[in-house]
Amino acid sequence: MAAVIAGSAVRTCFGDGAQTFDALLGGAVGAGPLRHGDPAELNISTAYHAAAAGADPLWRASRLLAACVAQAAGHAGVDPSRERVVVLVGTGLRELSAVEEWALGGTRPRARSLHFGDVVTAVLPGVVEIITISNACSAGGQALALAQDLIELGDADVVLACGTDALTRSMLAMIGRVTREPATAVRPFDRDRKGVLLGEGAAVAVVVPPDRPGPVLGRLAATGVSCDAHHETAPDPEGIARAMTDAFERSGCEPAQVDLVVAHGTGTALNDPAECQALRKVLPVSDDGALVTAVKGATGHTSGSAALVNVDVALRCMAGGVVPPVIGLQTVLEEGTGLRFVTGAPTRFSPQLVQINAFGFGGVNAVTLLEKP
Amino acid sequence: MSPVVISAWSALTSAGIGPATVAARLRDHSGSPGGREVGSGSGYGEELPASRAHVLDGFDIRAQLGRKGTSSFDRVTGLAVVCCREALDAAAMDLDAARRARIGVSLGTTVGSLRSTSDYTRETLVAEKPYLVNPMQFPSTVMNCAAGQVAIRFGLRGVNATIAGGPLAFLNGVRYAGMTIERGYADVMLTGAAEEYTPHRAWLSHLTGATGPLVTGEGAAMFVLRRPGLPAWAGTDPDAMILAISTAYGPGGGVQADQALTGCVRRALHRAAVTGAEVSTVVTGESGTSDVSEFLPATAALGHEPGRLLPKLSFGECGAASGAIALGALLSADCSGLGLITGRGLDGSVGAALVQGRAR
Repeated sequence: MAAVIAGSAVRTCFGDGAQTFDALLGGAVGAGPLRHGDPAELNISTAYHAAAAGADPLWRASRLLAACVAQAAGHAGVDPSRERVVVLVGTGLRELSAVEEWALGGTRPRARSLHFGDVVTAVLPGVVEIITISNACSAGGQALALAQDLIELGDADVVLACGTDALTRSMLAMIGRVTREPATAVRPFDRDRKGVLLGEGAAVAVVVPPDRPGPVLGRLAATGVSCDAHHETAPDPEGIARAMTDAFERSGCEPAQVDLVVAHGTGTALNDPAECQALRKVLPVSDDGALVTAVKGATGHTSGSAALVNVDVALRCMAGGVVPPVIGLQTVLEEGTGLRFVTGAPTRFSPQLVQINAFGFGGVNAVTLLEKP
Repeated sequence: MSPVVISAWSALTSAGIGPATVAARLRDHSGSPGGREVGSGSGYGEELPASRAHVLDGFDIRAQLGRKGTSSFDRVTGLAVVCCREALDAAAMDLDAARRARIGVSLGTTVGSLRSTSDYTRETLVAEKPYLVNPMQFPSTVMNCAAGQVAIRFGLRGVNATIAGGPLAFLNGVRYAGMTIERGYADVMLTGAAEEYTPHRAWLSHLTGATGPLVTGEGAAMFVLRRPGLPAWAGTDPDAMILAISTAYGPGGGVQADQALTGCVRRALHRAAVTGAEVSTVVTGESGTSDVSEFLPATAALGHEPGRLLPKLSFGECGAASGAIALGALLSADCSGLGLITGRGLDGSVGAALVQGRAR
């Protein structure tokens, strides 16, 4: 049993998937001035806004998601009139910004609009079920795990694993409170990293059985999941390592087979060392070990869609034979010694088995293994 | 869901503790709703909607489990933990830390302990300044308290799920457990349901019409579920197996729910690759012989009228636990052939499970 990815679409601060990958290869940074909320009050001045969400500060997560669903379903030839299609939407904060607007004296939003059922139905009518998975910054990875379960159990013909998040004032305020001086760039795995910044984004992977006619971009070997059961916000290398081990046990792949890691890499004080420790514990560390890259220096932390943005990048690495560098990384942190980070410029390399990491507050972890078709 | 074997099970009901008490009650049953007097002067200290109930006489959490870690247990937590201890003992698995990490829990409920949540909420509203409430009681007010305490007490570090589905909670919980095992998230699932009798629940089941001609009851039943033959440390396979399960929803109840239940039974037969003729016993949640709200839709799919077992007449209306007690009753009944368990909620939720053989 297995599942494959028949389509993938993303929207980030750079645009769609192709534009995002080109920007990563070119070393671009998508950060700009924060447009929503008061930078002085929030102690945050920089954000990675996605143009596809439009100018309106409300319902941005919904618009980004709708664009991705339409594009990915189109590419994969998804037809809800002939196939049982389930849509899983992973998100950190759903449409919280609409509630914030209400709290500040604006209009009261309809409760059902805080989920994504209506926007998904509008672009893809006839789907059997639309489920929101609110699981912090690994939500997209959790959606991918559940998508593979549904396909392999035969409970659906097509599952759209989705992730989406836009900026919310509460999340910005929280990030502004945990740092003395606000970061102006995300620098994953760098010794002098200053913390995370938020990026708007959405991503969709179309998961289908291997025998479905149509395009195959990659093979989903497995997604391992775990909960740290350790701390509300601080990550635990043991819990992260368990998600990785779970992925290997489920897939039957060996850690030594992984030749590229698309890391979570948030540029925070705690994530990056913990992620490095877990990678060094589970993967063999050697001169020909797996390459490691990460995108958040370029795109910001896209929260609920982060795992699936990484999946799209991994698919493009496999298809194009080139791996983008970790943008923002100059001097590797101590805990990363021995890991083969791609820095400075893209590397010509065609990965066969990619590990994709996503970790969230609450210690919820999802690690995906993706094989070249 | 692929078939799961029932390694072992236990039950706590008004008949007592353990499978033998279930079998004895079924054998001796008089045909009346039974229960004992719980009216005024029986220790509940509050007005009750009915004078009789199926309760566990003298059930004492501390006598069962000791003082350590049990001081804040509410009754449903006590029932669930004791029932799980009995089921785990019966399974006689050779457990170490690594194996316990592969055992999960899925526990069916209606709303957790209604007494804990409503008393706590009431306290926050009526207490005098400075409005302090007892923090020790707070953990009991969450719906998954019982499942969590089971995991803590027995060191079961696998998937821990509480399924709030009222009359369908047990069937949903078995389906959940089966998928959890099939997808490799756990090797063994301790699955069942528990419900306490308190004045709060007596009123709830009276006012929602769940009781009807029955009397309100309490109890728990827990089953040790796993894949046939796996894992090796879980012992040899007994005969009892849940072959297939199907759940559905007929909006609003009525004819739509009738049709949904017939569909469930058809799907369960199809998944198990058996015919309706092979089913010799149907266990329903019905309130008496004149209530055919589950039997008729089931026989429509089976194509004949097998024997019918009505466990609520023997054990009371036990909310979420009734579904679990129904499986215990089926395993205790002396029947050859396959058994079918059906469930139906007032809102139109329905479900059916096909069961083969007897447990050890």
